[in-house]
Amino acid sequence: MSRWRRFRRLLGPETRGDVDAELSFHVEMRVRELVERGESPDRARELALRRFGDYEDSREACLVISERRERTMVRTEYVSELRQDVAYAFRMLRRTPGFTLIAIATLALGIGANSAIFSVVHGVLLQSLPFREPGRLYEVRMLYPDGTFYTGVSAPDFASVREENRVFEQVEAYSTGVFTLLGAGEPREVRGVNVSDGLFRMLGLDIAVGRGFLQEEHQPKRGRVAVLDHGFWQRMFGGDRSVLGRTVSVGGDPYTIVGVLAPGARLTTPADVYAPLEYDERFSATAQTARRSEFLAVVGRSRPGLALKQVDDDLRRVGTRLQVAFPRSNEGLTFNAIGLHQLIVGDVRTPLLVLMGAVGFVLLVACVNVANLLLARASARKEELAVRAALGAGRTRLFRQLLTEAVVLGLAGGLCGLAIAYWGTRTLIAAQPADIPRLGEVGLSTTVVLFTLAVSLLTSIIFSVLPTLHMTRGRLTEALHEGGRSGAGSSGHRTRAALVVAEMSLAVVLLVGAGLLIRSFVELMRVQPGFQTDHAMAFRLTMQGDEYKGAPQIRNRVALFQERLRALPGVTVVGAGTVLPLSGLGSIFNFTVEGAPPPPPNVNAEIAIASTTPDYFRAIGTPLKRGRFFTEGDHSESPKVAIINESAVRRWFPQDDPLGKRVTVGNDVREIVGIVGDFRQRDPGQESVPQLFAPHGQFTTRTIRIVVRTTSDPLALASAIRSEIRGIDPNLAIPDFTPLEQLVSRSVARPRFYASLVMLFAGVALALAATGIFGVMSYTVAQRRREISIRMALGARAGDVVRMIVGRALLLAAVGAILGVAAAQALGRVIQKQLFGVTLLDPLTIAAVIVVLGLSAVAASILPARRAAGVDPASVLRS
Amino acid sequence: MERPTPAPDILRGTLDLLILTALSRGPKHGYAVARWIEIATNDALAIGEGSLYPALHRLEERNWVTAGWGPSENNRHAKFYALTRQGRARLRVEANNWRRYAAAVFAALDAPAAE
Repeated sequence: MSRWRRFRRLLGPETRGDVDAELSFHVEMRVRELVERGESPDRARELALRRFGDYEDSREACLVISERRERTMVRTEYVSELRQDVAYAFRMLRRTPGFTLIAIATLALGIGANSAIFSVVHGVLLQSLPFREPGRLYEVRMLYPDGTFYTGVSAPDFASVREENRVFEQVEAYSTGVFTLLGAGEPREVRGVNVSDGLFRMLGLDIAVGRGFLQEEHQPKRGRVAVLDHGFWQRMFGGDRSVLGRTVSVGGDPYTIVGVLAPGARLTTPADVYAPLEYDERFSATAQTARRSEFLAVVGRSRPGLALKQVDDDLRRVGTRLQVAFPRSNEGLTFNAIGLHQLIVGDVRTPLLVLMGAVGFVLLVACVNVANLLLARASARKEELAVRAALGAGRTRLFRQLLTEAVVLGLAGGLCGLAIAYWGTRTLIAAQPADIPRLGEVGLSTTVVLFTLAVSLLTSIIFSVLPTLHMTRGRLTEALHEGGRSGAGSSGHRTRAALVVAEMSLAVVLLVGAGLLIRSFVELMRVQPGFQTDHAMAFRLTMQGDEYKGAPQIRNRVALFQERLRALPGVTVVGAGTVLPLSGLGSIFNFTVEGAPPPPPNVNAEIAIASTTPDYFRAIGTPLKRGRFFTEGDHSESPKVAIINESAVRRWFPQDDPLGKRVTVGNDVREIVGIVGDFRQRDPGQESVPQLFAPHGQFTTRTIRIVVRTTSDPLALASAIRSEIRGIDPNLAIPDFTPLEQLVSRSVARPRFYASLVMLFAGVALALAATGIFGVMSYTVAQRRREISIRMALGARAGDVVRMIVGRALLLAAVGAILGVAAAQALGRVIQKQLFGVTLLDPLTIAAVIVVLGLSAVAASILPARRAAGVDPASVLRS
Repeated sequence: MERPTPAPDILRGTLDLLILTALSRGPKHGYAVARWIEIATNDALAIGEGSLYPALHRLEERNWVTAGWGPSENNRHAKFYALTRQGRARLRVEANNWRRYAAAVFAALDAPAAE
């Protein structure tokens, strides 16, 4: 059977000709028989065809069957050959376990790192948001004259957008806050959200237990009902369904729990408790007042088929109309929209893609390394392949055989890589890098597994194509003639040297990137944040409920807290303020300087305002530049005063002396009595912006941050502080204590995360490249044994030989470094935004990279060089 | 997919059986199979000999017969068919089936008239 098949193959699959030959043979035989019986030839042919029946029909039927059979045969043969190839590949790989293990480990590292980063990229960037049709969701933001925008929208403006827009099917809003929860164990702070009537429906968030909010519950004072977040319900109430109907105190008001959201249902920011937004008189498209009291986040679902531009244009139209209708409040303001997905992942997009690119480089280096290993085996394999060719294997068959081996290696690497990716992803998530959004949604999904599979296959092709071409090139049988002598020759050696240069330059690109990111991070840490981070900590208190009905009660309580804490041993200063450095700006208010010309149209006439107690600046360690701090004398009955920072002086008083000037902030007129140094408000990399401080006695807030400066470790005082607070009011939520150092480390967590990951990748790439140098140098030494022996016989010393080999490695490294630095300059633009205080051509970074590369080249070549120097010339030359 | 082959109705299920029987007496080319059937069945295939070939090809596809090219008795290039082991087993099954079936039909034909 199989011999016949091979014979048949020689003729080629000529089914059509075969069928014709067979059928016509039949007819001719019949004609011959009839002629022998005495019929005339013409008559005989006619009779024969009539006997045959429908000739064309039979022919067609035969063709269909034969062709089908042919196809099945080819397929069966292919499968059986593939099975042979795979079995053979396994045998080959088992025969060289060292090579196999190193190759699989290298690939696993490269593929695993890629899968891990891809699973993050997939979870954060590619997967759609957990909302119904998330592509049509936009956040509506206020656009200010200077081009900045804020999430906050006022209730009347929200009502106007809701009523007047032509692009949204639905416009909803919510406000967020932190509230004290009583009536469920210890008092604690919860994240609360007030939602508009259609928000859950628009986002597609379902209620798992109980019910959602009713329309009438949005009427003022009627909405004392709450829906719990599913996770919060599990944590706080152990998933007990009997919480429905229970009343708890949230922010001092009693709320009845009526429902629980479905698992995983949430807004873009996590929350614990939801309540209806109360539609008071401010929620009116015609309201004249309260238009500049922004406290809502507004989200809209656009009609199908609209682009961002159309949504934006329509919002601008509404904004312009409001400018005309309400010139006092809305002048210079308008709206714009941002896609919800863009809003959430916008600022992590580039860094994540850069990481993906970096890890791709690592994989490339891994490929090059395995290609190098394969090439090293090429000489040995060439003989084996020649034997197989001599036994009748065709070139394509050999090619396929080698490719099969590569794919087996690649898939094995991918499988191990998946394990690495699993572990890597868990570690990444556990590290909680700097509030990267949606990190909780990251995991090894089917997509990630498919990605890994695809990468493994692609990888196999990349690393095998060069060695395979190399091995099957030229006349295969030549290797047999060459006999036992190694046949890779100098062209193979050149290829390997080129590969080593390539992987070095890839490693250099990563090293330069890592170096720049680390330098940026160091520069960030060197920035003077404008406050003293050591020996101080802060905690937040939110004063709600019956004891804190009005501002006087709050003020008295804050004064009492400060007095008691100041009395604790080891405490030097206690102050309080509504914001902390590196933690945001505080509320924004309209701002004008008395007697000054109105600001140019592209400057926002507004300022960020925070309120503080007299000792606040001493507590955070920010110096007074001129004038005075607040005193206990700056209370609600005394003249209104303010302190501004130096940025505010530069912005609003470029020529004049601000001290003694009167300014309008919101509805208050204040006199500037002091100027304090700038402290960084967002992260150390962002310049300070104007900020105004008012005395807490004149500008009282329910939530305040108390800062305690101490002589020794501030956290040692935590329990003493806790019991003081509980002694005064047992219903206050127990706060978390934040050392001021932590404000800095938290604000640089992201750069640190990116820098350390790229550093890790660069390290892996460098190690792989060094292995490559080691391999090539060992090979060189083996090849040049005779030459080295002759040199030594002629008087070269061991030192000369070592220098020669190490010198060659350094030469390769130098070429790699030049190419790598050049490539890094070209690619550097993508990390420009992540850089701080360094340029792409940072000489220190590049010098360091060159030194590191040189040292690795020396380290990787010293062993082969020593081996070369240890050659015994006499024995080599005799052999 | 397969086009119906024109054959006398009576031969429709039995053509395979006839071919297998023909080949069980030794390898033959298509024309020889046709001649054997012609003689053995008293020319039942008189019209529609062509339907023999799709049947042969189908048997080949099912691995019941194997085919190869060789010189015919008058030294022409011809396609010869031979029974495989599976084909032989199949023939036994089919022949038994047919005998039982025919016996049943004959029994029915010879049955006394119903009262």
